[in-house]
Amino acid sequence: MAQIELENITKQFGDVKALDNVSLTVRDNEFFVLFGPAGAGKTTLLKTIAGAEFPEKGLVKIGGNIVNHVESKDRNVSMVFENYALYPNLSVYDNIASPMRSKLYKKDEDYIKTAVDKVTKMMKINHLLERKPSQLSNGQRQRVALGRCLVRTPNVFLMDEPLAHLDAKLRHFMRGELKEMQTSINSTTIYVTHDYMEAMSLADRIGVLNHGEIVQTGTAQEMYYTPCNEFVARLFGEPEINILEGKKYAREDSVYVKVLEQDVLLYPSEDTIQALKETDTDDIHIGMRGNDIKFAFEKPGDEWLEGTIYANEPIGNKVIMTVLIGDTKLAVTCPNDTVAELDQKVYVKFNMMNAIYFNGETQKFIIRNNMSRYMAEKREG
Amino acid sequence: MFGSSTKKTGGGINYNEIPARIRRRPYYIIAPGLLILIGIMIPFITAIFLSFTNYSFRLPKWGFVGLKNWINMFTGKEFYHALGVTLRYGIFATAAEMLLGTGVALLLRKDTRYSRILKVLFTFPLMVAPAIAVLIWQLMTSNTVGILEKVLNIFGIYNFPWAASHSTALFTAILIDAWVNTPFVLLLVLAGIQSLPKSPFEAAAVDGAGAWFTFKTLTFPMLKPFMYIALLFRLMAALQEFGIIYALTKGGPGDTLMNISLTGYINGFTYQKLAAALPYLLILWFIINKTAQFLVKRQRHLAQQAAGK
Amino acid sequence: MENQGQLVDSSKNKKIFKILEPIGRNLGLTLFAMFALFPLVWMVVCAFKSDAQMYNTVFIFHPTLENFRAVLVGTDYFRAFFQNLVVAGGAVIITVIAGVPCAYALARYNFKKKEDVAFQILSFKFAPEILVILPIFLIFQKIGLYDTYFGLIWVYQLITMPLLIWVVRGYFEDISIEVEQAAQLDGYTWYEVFFKTLVPLIKPGLVASALLAFIFAWNSFTFPLILSGFEIQTITITALRYIASDTVHYGQVAVASTIAVLPEVIVALFIQKHLVRGLSFGAVKG
Repeated sequence: MAQIELENITKQFGDVKALDNVSLTVRDNEFFVLFGPAGAGKTTLLKTIAGAEFPEKGLVKIGGNIVNHVESKDRNVSMVFENYALYPNLSVYDNIASPMRSKLYKKDEDYIKTAVDKVTKMMKINHLLERKPSQLSNGQRQRVALGRCLVRTPNVFLMDEPLAHLDAKLRHFMRGELKEMQTSINSTTIYVTHDYMEAMSLADRIGVLNHGEIVQTGTAQEMYYTPCNEFVARLFGEPEINILEGKKYAREDSVYVKVLEQDVLLYPSEDTIQALKETDTDDIHIGMRGNDIKFAFEKPGDEWLEGTIYANEPIGNKVIMTVLIGDTKLAVTCPNDTVAELDQKVYVKFNMMNAIYFNGETQKFIIRNNMSRYMAEKREG
Repeated sequence: MFGSSTKKTGGGINYNEIPARIRRRPYYIIAPGLLILIGIMIPFITAIFLSFTNYSFRLPKWGFVGLKNWINMFTGKEFYHALGVTLRYGIFATAAEMLLGTGVALLLRKDTRYSRILKVLFTFPLMVAPAIAVLIWQLMTSNTVGILEKVLNIFGIYNFPWAASHSTALFTAILIDAWVNTPFVLLLVLAGIQSLPKSPFEAAAVDGAGAWFTFKTLTFPMLKPFMYIALLFRLMAALQEFGIIYALTKGGPGDTLMNISLTGYINGFTYQKLAAALPYLLILWFIINKTAQFLVKRQRHLAQQAAGK
Repeated sequence: MENQGQLVDSSKNKKIFKILEPIGRNLGLTLFAMFALFPLVWMVVCAFKSDAQMYNTVFIFHPTLENFRAVLVGTDYFRAFFQNLVVAGGAVIITVIAGVPCAYALARYNFKKKEDVAFQILSFKFAPEILVILPIFLIFQKIGLYDTYFGLIWVYQLITMPLLIWVVRGYFEDISIEVEQAAQLDGYTWYEVFFKTLVPLIKPGLVASALLAFIFAWNSFTFPLILSGFEIQTITITALRYIASDTVHYGQVAVASTIAVLPEVIVALFIQKHLVRGLSFGAVKG
C-alpha cells in the first residue's frame, strides 16, 4: 500500500493535451475517485500511474519513489480497464489467475485456486469459471476484469469505470462490496467514474478533472455544498443545479440581486453580504438546487414567483418538474406523488439559505450561507 | 520524440525521457524485417542505375551511355506495340474478371446449401499457379485430346486455333487468366455482400422499392469499395502478367502477346541486352505505381462515402 | 377495375419471378461452376488415361496408373516437388520469423513515416517481377547465389513478406492495446506478453497467411525460371517441360499438373475462413 503522488504531469497526444500540468496526491489507504465528463483525461491519468502511458512532463511517485522509468510490470499496480482487456483465448479462471502466474507475482496453484474461488464468489461469477470472455455478457466480463484486479495485493488499485456495465441492482451491491473490501484490506484505490452518485458514495476524496486539468479536489460534501466553480456545481446533483444569472445592487447595509430578466429581486442571507459586496463585478450567478425551490399550485403570498409547468418527469423516488419563468427553465425537485398538468400555473420560492453565489464573469465560487459549517467539516476530514 | 523537456531531477536522470532500452525496442523489433526488405530493394536501385549504361551479358566491358537506352525505347516501334498489348491484356482481363466475378458473387448471395459448397469449390482455381493453369488449359484446348475441340465439333467448328493464331491468342490467354483470377474478384465482392448492413434493405423493402432500384441505390454503392480493391489487385497484376503468357506462347505467335514484361525478358535474356531492357520495365513499374496510387486514393474516398462520412 | 387488374398482374408476375428466380440463379451458378471446376476434373480424368485412349475416349476408358509411374519414378519431377517444398517452406519460415515482429511494430508503434514504410512494403508486391529479376540475376551471378536455395528463398521474400506483414498487422490491430497493458500489469515482460498473450491471439490469422504465402511461393514461376538452373528446379518450371517436348504425353502433363495443384487445394480448404483477408492483404476483413 502506498501513497501516490503526481507532480505537474503533462501528457500530449498529437495536438491534444490529455493532461495539463496535473498535480495530485492520493494518500495511503485512501479511496480516491476521479470524476469528470468524457474526454477529461481520467483514463490517461490512470494509465500514467500504471505506466502504460509515459508523461512528457512531470513525475509519478509511488510510495515516495519516482517511477517514471519503472516499467509497468515492476510498479506493482493492478488495474481494471474500461474495455475489460480480458485475454480472449483464456477461460475466466485463467484470466483471473493470470497475475498470480507471472514470474514476478508467482503463487502456487493451490493458493491460486483459493484466491480465484474467493474473488469469483464475491463477484458472483463462480459458476462461469470455464467460459471464455466471448461467452459472457458485458456485466460478467466487467466482473471478471474486476476479479483479475482484486486477486492481487498491489501498491494501488486503479479502476476505470469498473461498474459501468452492471445492472443497477448489482452495481449497488458491488459498490458496497468494494467499499467494505477497501476498508478491510487497507488499499489505496483510484477509481474513475462519470456517475456522481457512485463518486459521492464511494469516495474518501474526489478529484474533478476537466480538459486535462484538476478543477477541484475534496470530499463529497465539499463538492456538493462548496463547489469551486459552476462546472463542478453542475456535475454533482440530480437534477442539475439551476444557475440564475443576475445583477448585483449594493446598498449600505444590504445587497440584492436582480434575476430572471430583472423582474425578481433576491435578498442574500446576512453572512454572505460582505463577500458579495467585495466581489469586483456586478454579474452574480446564483446556484440553486432543485430541492431548495419550494412550489405551490395556489399562490401562497406576494413573494412567490409565477411560472408554468414545462415538463414533469417522475424518476423513481422523486419528480423533476421543469418550471418556465419568462425564458428561464428551472428544475424543481418534488415529492413523487406530485401530479401536474403541462402549462398549468405554478408558484415557486427560493430558499436563499442554501444559495451558492458565483462570480458571473469567471464563474468561480464566491460564497454560500453558513460557510463555517462546511469549512468545519473539512477540517475534521 | 520527447526531447523537448529538459527537466532533470537527481543524479542527472531525465525522468521525462523514455529510457533508451525502451525507446530502442521498436527498432530492434523491426530490424530483421527491414534488413530483408532493404535487401530486396537493392535490385530496384541497381535497375535504375544500369538503365543508363550499356551493360550486357555478352560484353565484358560496360560504361555509361546516358539516356540512349531510353531514347531508343521511345523512338522504336517495339515499345508502343508492347504498351498496347500490356494495356489490352490488362484492361480486358480485368474487365472480364470484374464482370464475371461480381455477377457470380451476386448469384451466390442467397445462402443455400448449393451456394455454400460452391463458395469453397470456387477457391480452387485461385490456388493454381499460372504456369500450371496453362498446362491444365492445354488439356482442355488441345486439338487432339482437348474436350473443347470435341464440343466445338458438335457446332461444326473444327481445329479452333486457340493460342496458335494471331487472332485468338489474346482471347485464350485472357480466358486462362480469368479462369484463375475470377474467383478472387468473386471472393472479395462476396465478402462485401456479407458485410452489408440489413436495416437499409429492410427499409427499402418496406418502402416497396424494386429489385433494380435497390441494387442501384443501395447494393452497388456499398459494394463499390470492395470492387475497387479487387480492381486494384487484378489490374496491377494483369498489367505485368508474365507467367501465363510465357508458358502459353512465350509472347507469340509472332509478337502478338509481347507485353512489356515479355519484351523486357526477351531483350534482357534472349538477346542479352540487359541495359536496353530495363527502361521498358521501369516504365511499367511507373505506370503500375501511378495507377495503384490513383486507385488507392479513390478507394479510400469511396469507402468513406459508403460509410456515410 | 383497371387498378385491380394491375394488382393481380403484378402479383402474378411476382409468382412467376418466385419460380423462375431460383432456376435462373442455379443455372447461372452451374454454368460458372462448369467453367471454374471442369478443367480440374478433366485434368484428373486425363491423368488416368493411357496415351492410346487419350485421343479416342472422353469419359469412358480403362484407368491406368501408367502416367503416374512415368512422371514420378526415375524422373526429376519428384525431386522438383521436394525442392519446391524446401524453397517455398524456407521462404515462409524466414518471413514469419522476421515479418511477424515487423507487423507488430507497424501495428503498435507510432514512428515517423510509418504509413510510408508500410505502403512501400506493399508496393513491392506490385513491382513487375521481371524488373526485379534482371538486376538480381546479375547480382546473384556475381556473389554466387544463382541457382542456390538461399538465393531463391531470399528473393521469395518479395512475394511472401509483404503479404504476411500486411495481413498479420491487421490481426495485431484487432487486439486492443489494453490487453497488452493488462498483461504487463500482471507482471509479464514485454517478450512474454508478445509470445504468451499476443501470438496465441493472432495464431489463426498467422497460420492462414503463412499458408497463403506458401501457396504464392509454391506457385512462383518467374523467379525460379530465371534464378535457378540445374541444381534447383521448382515444380512450375519442370512441369512445363512436359508440354514442350516433341511428342507431348498429355497424360503425363495431367499428372504433373495434378501433383502441383494437390497441396494447394488441400491448403485452401484449411484456410477458407481467412482467405479473403489474406488475398486482399488485410484490406477486406471477410
